[in-house]
Amino acid sequence: MSFELTKESKLVIDELLTRYPNKRAAALPVLHVVQKQHGYIPAEAEPLVAEILEVPPVKIREVLMFYTLFLQKEIGKNHLQVCRSVSCWLRGADRIIKQINEKLGIHDGETTSDKQFTLTEVECLGDCEHAPMMQLNDDYIGDLTAEKVDEIIGKKGQ
Amino acid sequence: MPTITIDGKELTVEKGKTIIQAADEAGIDIPRYCYHPGLSIVGQCRICLVEVEKMPKLQVACYTPVMDGMVVHTQSERARKGRKDVLEFLLVNHPIDCPVCDQAGECFLQDYYMKFGLYDSKMLEDKNKKSKAVPIGKHIVLDSERCILCTRCIRFCDEVSKTNELGIFHRGDHAELLPYPGKTVDNPYSVNVVDICPVGALTEKDFRFRTRVWYLDETNSVCTGCSTGCNIEVHTNKKREYKNEGRRVTRLKPRFNKDVNEYWICDEGRYSFTYVDAADRLGVVMKRVKGELQESTWAEVMPEVLTALQSAKENNKRIAVLGSPKMTNEDLFALKKFASQTLGVSQMPVTVLPKEKPFSDDFLIREDKNPNTKGAGYLGYDTDHKATRKLLDDCASGGVELLIIFHHDLEAGFETELVKSALSGAKTVVFVGSNANTTSARATYILPSCTYVEKEGTFTNFAGRVQKINRAIEPLGDSLPEWTIIRNLSRKIGKALAYFEAEDVFKDLTKNTAAFSGMSYSAIGDGGLVAEENGKLKQGDAKAAAQKTETATA
Repeated sequence: MSFELTKESKLVIDELLTRYPNKRAAALPVLHVVQKQHGYIPAEAEPLVAEILEVPPVKIREVLMFYTLFLQKEIGKNHLQVCRSVSCWLRGADRIIKQINEKLGIHDGETTSDKQFTLTEVECLGDCEHAPMMQLNDDYIGDLTAEKVDEIIGKKGQ
Repeated sequence: MPTITIDGKELTVEKGKTIIQAADEAGIDIPRYCYHPGLSIVGQCRICLVEVEKMPKLQVACYTPVMDGMVVHTQSERARKGRKDVLEFLLVNHPIDCPVCDQAGECFLQDYYMKFGLYDSKMLEDKNKKSKAVPIGKHIVLDSERCILCTRCIRFCDEVSKTNELGIFHRGDHAELLPYPGKTVDNPYSVNVVDICPVGALTEKDFRFRTRVWYLDETNSVCTGCSTGCNIEVHTNKKREYKNEGRRVTRLKPRFNKDVNEYWICDEGRYSFTYVDAADRLGVVMKRVKGELQESTWAEVMPEVLTALQSAKENNKRIAVLGSPKMTNEDLFALKKFASQTLGVSQMPVTVLPKEKPFSDDFLIREDKNPNTKGAGYLGYDTDHKATRKLLDDCASGGVELLIIFHHDLEAGFETELVKSALSGAKTVVFVGSNANTTSARATYILPSCTYVEKEGTFTNFAGRVQKINRAIEPLGDSLPEWTIIRNLSRKIGKALAYFEAEDVFKDLTKNTAAFSGMSYSAIGDGGLVAEENGKLKQGDAKAAAQKTETATA
């Protein structure tokens, strides 16, 4: 499998590189561009990014394996990241997780067979006032209830 | 320059140095795992915590630059407590498998635990399991559980070998040192990462479980793998010989020399000692009887060689000598003196270039795989490969009665046909060397000589640096240093050479060879001295030689 950057991604990266005193400093935003384009960061992209940033590929791999927000394999169209840290847990995060487990048949780190949903249990996302909460793709959804979860799954699962 | 105080000792330190560097210069020991003087500074392991007055928190000595008036305490209650806590963290997931770890005895986790730790584990949780005994290269085995993530090996591969194989992947206590997928740590300098690993995470395949390190003796020497002359320690195991499996040299370790190899050595050089106890090693005097080489003795063979030399001289037949750049300056000088004084041989070639160009780079690995070609040049030998070819041509055409060859395997550099006719062209062929080869197999006499770990002497590296080798083990069987063999011959024919030790030869050599004038074994010391064609020593070199050298493992 080969990976190539689209013209749009390349343009964004070129602009990003102008923002930093050296190229390697742009590692995080550049990796986000790759993830945005491809959904995750395939191993084939590592040498490519390394070349752009003028560092050895191993340095890119160190970065992307350190941060949990960088994905190394394909996930479902909808990424349900449910917080399981203290505030959410006290307000029933475990029930929310169990509901998703049963409804979609997936557990932490798993993807539904139709590639619609992936569930990840995550640590605090800093939205405790709306506990229990989850992040659906790029958006926070707080004050979760069983009905709200059903609604999300119903709407997104079509 | 800033003046600082460490443990009550006032020091003037160069601006820009850090506390640990200032302490090292003053001989004050601050513990370290990740800091290594030959690598960049990262402040990864935190074991070097010290107390600095007027700074609220403990500081890492490796990363904190000195400032004028700074007062540092390395042994205060707070500093010791800080180090103890850091150590406790480093050992949270450590398997404590010291009884079966090959690093035991030279492990800084063990050393610092005995010095600062001595606590009981407070952890209730199980330790993390990670990969153990994984070969990550031809010579290296990785145990991730023992790794404390100091990144010394990663920085070595980034900064010194510049090959970038290793990285730390994942984070927190899942963080694990691994090679980049699809890569192995097989660069030409790979085993240095084992030397600088402060714990037992990286161990060496060849050495693993061969012996406990505290049984080893160390002898300072110089690598003979190429003309760089990297400074080394020869480690031998005389206390548990049964562990050696017939090998008397257990391993080589690089020895610090800022003017030659810094802290490093290449893998080729590290494993270049195997010929010392190889199956082809010559330990017995041999002579040809009815076409077959048979074991003999010095007492029997020496008079026969002398008679052959004598008769060639008396009948005005040509005697020719092919020296070797594997011989020490002492060997070469004694040979030169004997050959010119007694045998009437003034021109002697030494060089046989291999048919294929050997690997070399712009760091430590040189194309010339001999330790002393430069010395042979200074001593008046002809170091041109063509001179050796001419000699062989002369032999082949029957112009040489007696040929003395040191070490060379002629077929490595010349066509088999030429070698055959050259060696059969001479009536008598005397081979002096440490290992058998296709040339010794065609000799009339074989005189066994010592390898570099069995004798004393000096080599001159490619840059003209004269460096000392020392005897680490006894000579094998009947073998003798080349200069001794020549001295013994000289006692019976012509003018006797009055040498009793290698140092006697060296003294004579310095008096008679401009490049070496003014040198002595004590001045060469552990760091070496640079010889110059005009006979003058470079300024500052003697000082460098006198400076205390440190080992790469420290």
